[in-house]
Amino acid sequence: MSALLKVESLLKHFPIRRGAFGRVSGMVQAVDGVSFDIGVGETLALVGESGCGKSTTGRLILRLIEPTSGRVWFDGRDVFALSDSQMRDLRGAMQIIFQDPFASLNPRMTIGQTLEEPLALHGLAEGRRRARVAEILNLVGLAPQYARRYPHEFSGGQRQRVGIARALAVEPRLIVCDEPVSALDVSIQAQVINLLRDLQARLSLSYIFIAHDLAVVKFIATRVAVMYMGRIVEYAHKNALFAQPRHPYTQALLAAIPVPDPTLHRDRSLLQGDVPDPANPPSGCRFRTRCPHARTRCAEDTPLLEADETGHAVACHFWREIPPAVAFLPGSAAAPRNARLEALQAAFRRPRPDAILDNDHPGASP
Amino acid sequence: MSRERPGPLLEVRELRTVFGTDEGEFVAVDGVSFEVDAGRTLGLVGESGCGKSVTSLSIMGLVPSPGRIGGGEVIFDGEDLLRLPPPAMRELRGNRMSMIFQEPMTSLNPAFTIGDQVTEVILRHRDVSAAEARQQAIAMLRRVRIPSPEQRYHDHPHRLSGGMRQRVMIAMALALSPRLLIADEPTTALDVTIQAQILELMRALREETGTAIVLITHDLGVIAEVADEVAVMYAGRIVERAPVAALFAQPQHPYTIGLLGSIPQLHVEQDRLAAIEGQVPNASAPVSGCRFHPRCPFAVERCRSEIPPLREIAPAHAAACWLAPL
Repeated sequence: MSALLKVESLLKHFPIRRGAFGRVSGMVQAVDGVSFDIGVGETLALVGESGCGKSTTGRLILRLIEPTSGRVWFDGRDVFALSDSQMRDLRGAMQIIFQDPFASLNPRMTIGQTLEEPLALHGLAEGRRRARVAEILNLVGLAPQYARRYPHEFSGGQRQRVGIARALAVEPRLIVCDEPVSALDVSIQAQVINLLRDLQARLSLSYIFIAHDLAVVKFIATRVAVMYMGRIVEYAHKNALFAQPRHPYTQALLAAIPVPDPTLHRDRSLLQGDVPDPANPPSGCRFRTRCPHARTRCAEDTPLLEADETGHAVACHFWREIPPAVAFLPGSAAAPRNARLEALQAAFRRPRPDAILDNDHPGASP
Repeated sequence: MSRERPGPLLEVRELRTVFGTDEGEFVAVDGVSFEVDAGRTLGLVGESGCGKSVTSLSIMGLVPSPGRIGGGEVIFDGEDLLRLPPPAMRELRGNRMSMIFQEPMTSLNPAFTIGDQVTEVILRHRDVSAAEARQQAIAMLRRVRIPSPEQRYHDHPHRLSGGMRQRVMIAMALALSPRLLIADEPTTALDVTIQAQILELMRALREETGTAIVLITHDLGVIAEVADEVAVMYAGRIVERAPVAALFAQPQHPYTIGLLGSIPQLHVEQDRLAAIEGQVPNASAPVSGCRFHPRCPFAVERCRSEIPPLREIAPAHAAACWLAPL
């Protein structure tokens, strides 16, 4: 088994409690039989809209919440069978970064103290901690003197760098990135995405990248799992998924992305309606109530996620009969390139010797 | 009511909005000028703190304390709104101009049904009977494509999904056929398939009604889909203004160029994004000269000391950069 992480039939049902006595009146199948695996140095993107179960899946893998059933294997070890102390050891190897790093930083601790804490917990000698903190800050593009500052002195992008630094402190092998850039401004988002990619190449990290922005996913992922109402509906290498989406939901998602090119006039069939009530999901295929191709069978049989010989998997009875996705993605390799714009943008990619290092802003320091 | 006159429906000239703070005055909007014609959509794009929302609140006369208008003119339909007394401004709002926000839940009253809230808007500004107002409200809910509006009329906001709530907000905003709609990040809180529905709806309603739209967003994809003209804001100033096609094909300001490079492309394989290094300037750390110069790879000495004016470098295309055209 070469996979670093293997997830098998993961299931999480949350009870719905109603009334004064908290009587359980139903179940929400937040994650309903999810399976995938991730190799060393790979990124698996979990995509889907709010409530599809992508964040719950990330938290289940880290055992931040306990699953209803299913198995997770990390480096050959059965994660759910581990004792508390074994789990503590494993937590070093599996880390998480959140959308809002500020909420997870202690405002009364300096960044240095925040970063030293996990080092102490994982048994690094006190004398070596400061050097390690400087090393990690350097790794995420922050100057070592930032260790003395408090979270409120940082901008959003810098805080996310701190969040990444904290995850990296204990030398993890897998990081669950839960919408790590969605709260950031576009220009800052690009810095953080570049950083995540550089770190992955340098440290052979594996990522579970939870996101709703498909352009970002296209940039960072190796493979993509598209989720809808707790289930994976399509799972493929990103190039296959973006070029030939098979599931009607994936097709609709791609068609809905607003594309920064005003010359494109896409003929797109928009998805109608909203996601159904999760406490009362449709029978059979959960997407059928919004699917333009749904037939009687879709209400009767639940389609299984079945892979072809290339590993491209889709959970739809009729995907072979659906007309192939024509230009869900705008443009193509043949689209004319804007040479002037590319040359100008290259200037932003060049390292600038006179640039203010570590993203500090003049006057921003206290 | 509205006088028929040539020229733009909305003309903002040298608008300046300042906030008094303990450390002195912070200029949130610093000499912003633009025009919107009837039936057109102007996209106002920029990152957090660039002043795009304060610009829209200034137009509506809704600048929160301790902010105040420091100068300029907002000519709407021939009148300078900044000189209008508060009662006249209240009459104007919701009637001839209205606004929708990112989070519809905060603007809807949870205690009343959505139908009552739309009806209330009509009753406040129009001399109609309650029954007539109710009929108009139902018609409006139908126009924003709310399914079975007669039944949904009696729902409270919490019963609706985010997309449906935003439709109700749009119904309230358009109930009185305003000539101008200001939409502040109307789809940012929504999922991408719902966002596509709302953008489509706004496009269709603009066609039907001829309402001019000022669309405020950080999303260049949304801009490309719905705007006719675009103004890019950075640190309180407009740095570039152009028709939408020209802005994306021939961007002239380095900030616009960097912003376009920061978005991952769907159809191109990329190794690195052209990220703009550094941070957006904040209130406590003002920048001399061009506000963008600390992050600009093209900056020269002059950019550090002198503020570049917004000047036309092609027909209808203006940029505030000493080096433009680049």
